[in-house]
Amino acid sequence: MVAATNGTARITATGDDWGRLAARARRTRRVKATSIYAFLIAVSIPIVLPYFWLVTIAFSARTGVAETQVLWRAVAVLVPAVIAFWAAAMLARGQRQRWAFVALVALATIIAFVALVGPSLHLENFIFLVEPDFASVLRSKVGTVTGAVQFPNVWHAFGNSILLAGTQTVIVVTVASLAAYYLSRFDFPGRSSMLRSLLVLHAFPVLTLIVPLFLMLYYIGLLDSLIGVILVLVAFELPFAIFIMKGFFDAVPWDIEMSALTDGASRRQAFLKVVLPQVTNGMLAISVFTFIRGWEEYIFVFTFLIRNTNWTMSLYMFYVREDVMGVDYGVVSAVGVFYLVPSLLLYMAAQRYLLQMSVGGVKG
Amino acid sequence: MASIEFRKITKRFGDVEVIPDMDLDIADGEFVALLGPSGCGKSTSLLLLAGIYLPSTGDLLFDGHVVNDVEAKDRNVGIVFQSYALYPHMTVRDNIMFPLRFKKTPREEAIRRVNEAAALVQVGDLLDRRPGQLSGGQQQRVALARALVKQPQLLLLDEPLSNLDATLRLSMRTEIKSLQDELGVTTILVTHDQIEATTMADRIICMRAGRIEQAGTPDDLYARPSSLFVASFIGSPPINLVEGKAVNGTVDVSGIGFPATGATGAVTIGLRPEHLVVADTGLPGRIAQIEPMGREVLYVVSTDIGHIRILEQGSTAGRGAGEAVHVGFDEAHSLVFDTTTERLIPDSHVKPPAP
Ligand SMILES: Nc1ncnc2c1ncn2[C@@H]1O[C@H](COP(=O)(O)OP(=O)(O)OP(=O)(O)O)[C@@H](O)[C@H]1O
Ligand SMILES: [Mg+2]
Repeated sequence: MVAATNGTARITATGDDWGRLAARARRTRRVKATSIYAFLIAVSIPIVLPYFWLVTIAFSARTGVAETQVLWRAVAVLVPAVIAFWAAAMLARGQRQRWAFVALVALATIIAFVALVGPSLHLENFIFLVEPDFASVLRSKVGTVTGAVQFPNVWHAFGNSILLAGTQTVIVVTVASLAAYYLSRFDFPGRSSMLRSLLVLHAFPVLTLIVPLFLMLYYIGLLDSLIGVILVLVAFELPFAIFIMKGFFDAVPWDIEMSALTDGASRRQAFLKVVLPQVTNGMLAISVFTFIRGWEEYIFVFTFLIRNTNWTMSLYMFYVREDVMGVDYGVVSAVGVFYLVPSLLLYMAAQRYLLQMSVGGVKG
Repeated sequence: MASIEFRKITKRFGDVEVIPDMDLDIADGEFVALLGPSGCGKSTSLLLLAGIYLPSTGDLLFDGHVVNDVEAKDRNVGIVFQSYALYPHMTVRDNIMFPLRFKKTPREEAIRRVNEAAALVQVGDLLDRRPGQLSGGQQQRVALARALVKQPQLLLLDEPLSNLDATLRLSMRTEIKSLQDELGVTTILVTHDQIEATTMADRIICMRAGRIEQAGTPDDLYARPSSLFVASFIGSPPINLVEGKAVNGTVDVSGIGFPATGATGAVTIGLRPEHLVVADTGLPGRIAQIEPMGREVLYVVSTDIGHIRILEQGSTAGRGAGEAVHVGFDEAHSLVFDTTTERLIPDSHVKPPAP
């Protein structure tokens, strides 16, 4: 009883005490936030910097000139800008002040960038977009040697990459959705061993199969054709995609499907109109990941594609590096930027949905 | 509208026999309540009717025709699922309209019927919302509207009122009842709530572990329960049950003799709280607890044969806990069951013990 009274007395402290406690909590919160931000800045700079340099080089390097000054000037703008942005976000009190601070920092950054880096920027490194035989052009600037590699039009390689990644994505998403639905809803002999094997299949390093696959494609007659590579990629991507999709289908209650059936829908209509709309997030996630996987694919296209009309962007990039790296790393970087943009755009467009994505419970 | 017949239907899931053997007739336009404890196979029975599950053996008949092979989409059954099963990606309007899309109902007529159905269950102002933005009770009413809009020949309601507040539940009860009268649609209502069953249904089917324990009018089940299970399941507060041994026209319970007719061997006496009175003679005891329940009072009386619940009309009349009283009852209302078979012994009654 006495103890209880004491406790109450301490809790119903005077007004001063409340203020002190609140101030302390605010201070702790601020210190914590500051140290977290400091940590984030420290680790994010080494991650961001290569990409930043890639872009800077692509727009500033000149044929035959090895000049790194501009990179350091760019860093001198970037690092203070990042820190200033965090600081602005931290120090601002209220939404309006935050916007004002951020706008101010952005303005200062732009001015500094234009002043320090601006004069070095140009678009000449993107010559490959308009001149298929750019290698010869570059070489003629520094010497008389003609290019060792016959380059196709970059847009052709770009088209091949889109075709490869796109077709692969369409096949994977369609097949994975149908297969996962079946695995999730129907019981059949060997179902659980099939589920287990889905995961095991994904565990093997794909490179181990490169020789037998080469032979297989050769005998089928799909060597040096995009279709062959697409089929190989689909085969490797499917198991995991099915596994993920099964999780999404498992999370869809059976009741709504039963309800659709009693409402007059056929099984196919119930699947298309009621079940599929519940798993669009999963399909979107798989699409993005599969597309990016196809877009960045390098080993299989390198092994199975030979003619330069079949080149994808990764092969194009590889041969550009082989051929002109010593002459002009600016062009190599420019090709890199060009190669990077589509996946970047895709992520930006899809990230809102990818962030919402939650993989449904995975049951056996 | 349809009459329904279960003919020797069994249902197994793998090795589990959920419905061992079911024979049941439901007349055209009848309102039947399925009552039973959780897991006894009520939802499974409804899904058999809807055509989602196929019977493992036996036949299901609609209007005298075997419909085992008729697909769910062609049965024209309206069903409100226990979980409502609304389509999360559609608005309430599209949810209610969904069944009409497959009936090729003309657009204007479909819209009119959706609005009517929505107004009927009072969700007319929620038509543009998604199910996720509705309360449990609102979802339940939307599900009801969706089941009604297709003018089904059979209406299956799986605990359709479980999530409503007391007032809304009462009004929905009358609403569904009068709607059913008006449309004359054969209706099966699954419920845990025996008051819901007794007030709404023409007939109650009491199930236990996949078997029909008793089927009859609410009065039948209340006054003449065929088994101990039904007797204890129907009635609130629950029936008083005491076990004893009948010898020479007396049931002996813990040394107290109840004069009895027509009983021998191990028996269980059933006395409904509302048939008992606090009296001057009868079974002696002491009031252990008093629970006023509005217009009624529940006494828990501690006697030599255990705690006995008595439900009396009116007020406590100045009685208090600890007071010595007697428990009295009318012989005609007493029930006697065979303890081993758990069946009711017809025409067997007991009297209060003589002083
Ligand atoms: N698809 C299924 N596979 C295996 N067993 C099932 C399946 N569906 C139901 N059961 C089992 O059948 C029994 C009856 O289930 P049912 O859903 O019909 O019960 P219920 O009477 O509706 O119960 P509640 O009142 O809790 O809803 C339960 O024991 C349940 O575990
Ligand atoms: Mg149920």
